[in-house]
Amino acid sequence: MSAQSKAAEKVARLFFKLSVEGGAVSAERVAGILAYIERHRPANPLIVLRSYHRLIAAELARGRAVVEHSGAAPEALLQSIAEAMTRRYRRPVTAISRPNPALIAGLRVRVGDDVYESSIAARLSTLSTAN
Amino acid sequence: MSSVLEQIEQQIAQLSTKAVRKNVGTIRTIADGVAKVDGLSDVMYNEMVQFPGDAIGIALNLEEDEVGCVILGDIAKLKEGDEVTTTGKLLSVPVGKGLLGRAVDSLGRPLDGKGPINSTEAYPVEKIAPGIVVRKPVTQALFTGIMAIDSMIPIGRGQRELIIGDRGTGKTTIAIDTIINQARINKVGLASGDPKFRPVYSIYVAIGQKNSNIVRTMSALEAAGALEFTIIVVAAAADNPANQYVAPYAGAAIGEWFMDNGMDALIVYDDLSKHAVAYRQISLILKRPSGREAYPGDVFYLHSRLLERAARLDGKGSLTALPIIETLAGDVSAYIPTNVISITDGQIFLETDLFNQGVRPAVSVGLSVSRVGSAAQIKATKQVAGKLKGELAQFRELAAFAQFGSDLDPKTKAQLDRGSRIVELFKQPALNPIPIELQVATLWAMQKGYYDELDLKRVTAAAVSLREHFSTRHDALLSKIRTKASLDAELEAGLKAACDEWKSTFAA
Repeated sequence: MSAQSKAAEKVARLFFKLSVEGGAVSAERVAGILAYIERHRPANPLIVLRSYHRLIAAELARGRAVVEHSGAAPEALLQSIAEAMTRRYRRPVTAISRPNPALIAGLRVRVGDDVYESSIAARLSTLSTAN
Repeated sequence: MSSVLEQIEQQIAQLSTKAVRKNVGTIRTIADGVAKVDGLSDVMYNEMVQFPGDAIGIALNLEEDEVGCVILGDIAKLKEGDEVTTTGKLLSVPVGKGLLGRAVDSLGRPLDGKGPINSTEAYPVEKIAPGIVVRKPVTQALFTGIMAIDSMIPIGRGQRELIIGDRGTGKTTIAIDTIINQARINKVGLASGDPKFRPVYSIYVAIGQKNSNIVRTMSALEAAGALEFTIIVVAAAADNPANQYVAPYAGAAIGEWFMDNGMDALIVYDDLSKHAVAYRQISLILKRPSGREAYPGDVFYLHSRLLERAARLDGKGSLTALPIIETLAGDVSAYIPTNVISITDGQIFLETDLFNQGVRPAVSVGLSVSRVGSAAQIKATKQVAGKLKGELAQFRELAAFAQFGSDLDPKTKAQLDRGSRIVELFKQPALNPIPIELQVATLWAMQKGYYDELDLKRVTAAAVSLREHFSTRHDALLSKIRTKASLDAELEAGLKAACDEWKSTFAA
């Protein structure tokens, strides 16, 4: 990593900190930051924006449970997952549904970097790698 | 009652369908065996992480929003965006006697095609070295079978003795000779049925070596019957630097198992110069700040934490380390050599000039030292070789002066003559360790002037002949020297009679 991209990442991190309000990403602040970048273009704007995007995406993912499922996922199930994750992480977590037939059966829930796996595909994969 | 059973069954069913939690990340960049990973927010320092396609990584750099991992294994199939998973485990290797006679990689996986490793236990590769309370002083000898070393630079069990020298000066040969000698002693000791006998198991760690050299070493060990007491850990030159970085720690973990279970082990790190180079490569790719010779700031700790794991433990066994360092143009004041010299308990310095003059092993007596080994030297060796180091050092000094003038007084001439004979006496072919009792007999004969009348060129042959004479005709006397480990009047009389007998036959 060059000194330039290091500096750009530092700027992106600063923008990210300014985008968070009350522990959550504020859409208004993000809009404000983007407008600021538009007006006062920083050095290496592409690197700054990419890093900023990555940081915001990671932060948003922490408050979102992506529920992958092969069959049907009723609204009640999504609601219960959201409640369970909110309790577990002690922060508001919303659940969104994403159909994935490759799972064969079961669920795969991702919240930030954590993945909760209870799908048949994952078990078959575990079995295939077991000694 | 059935409802109770149903409840338990339900509980089991719940447990068996419980979701598995994993902490994941994605590869952002990958280059030269090092991956920068986004995510992995729960990863521990030095934790094993799982890459796709059975590749294992170690988390070495935990940064604010990314993790730097070195990858052990095939990186060809990895790409940006691949998922990486934490394992919750520190890097560990299989340990135990099941590894004896095997060649394994830095993760303990077999490389010799002899089937799976028979091991039920695993040890973490990185471990804090034993503290001062559990350690014992080095007092038991570890014989290398090399007369110049056992008599002048003795090594004890639990010691760290550096073997240092330029390329092609016989560093690996000394290590291999020592391993072969341990196997020979083990065989004799185990056959004797002595309950107090403690065998020494050997671990040879090849770091950044050519595969052809490793095969040659293995063949030499096998031919000498030493492979059954030896474990070979291989991180060859073609392996990625991460494997080369981990290999000595894996070897140390394997050795620690023997030490923890009341056994003695010897570990050879061949060599730590290449290990430092591999670590420098990893550190530079991880963007760690570089210092002298572009090595990272913690290169001293890299070797100190490794070598500190060699110890003699109270109530347990020992781990003796023989690290090897390759110098450039005999420069012992370079960065890595000085580091390792300061960590170890002494060094055996091998000189290119001596090697080229035919003095093999090319041990430089002046620069070699064993800081703790003299306490471990047996009394018999002390009796016959106590003054040898001083005499030889004096000889080297006088020999240097003698080059400039031809008029020498008789005393100096005598000293030079004796020194030359000692040098000849210490010449020893490779892969041919000499049992300690034969070393004592050879040196006793030297001390008593049995080689003084011989032509200088015949001294080496005479010593070989004397040892043959003792081995074939005076086995009982040799056994006594071995068991008593010191020379009394009776043994000296026996030695004199045997030497007189030999002298008459050799002169004839």
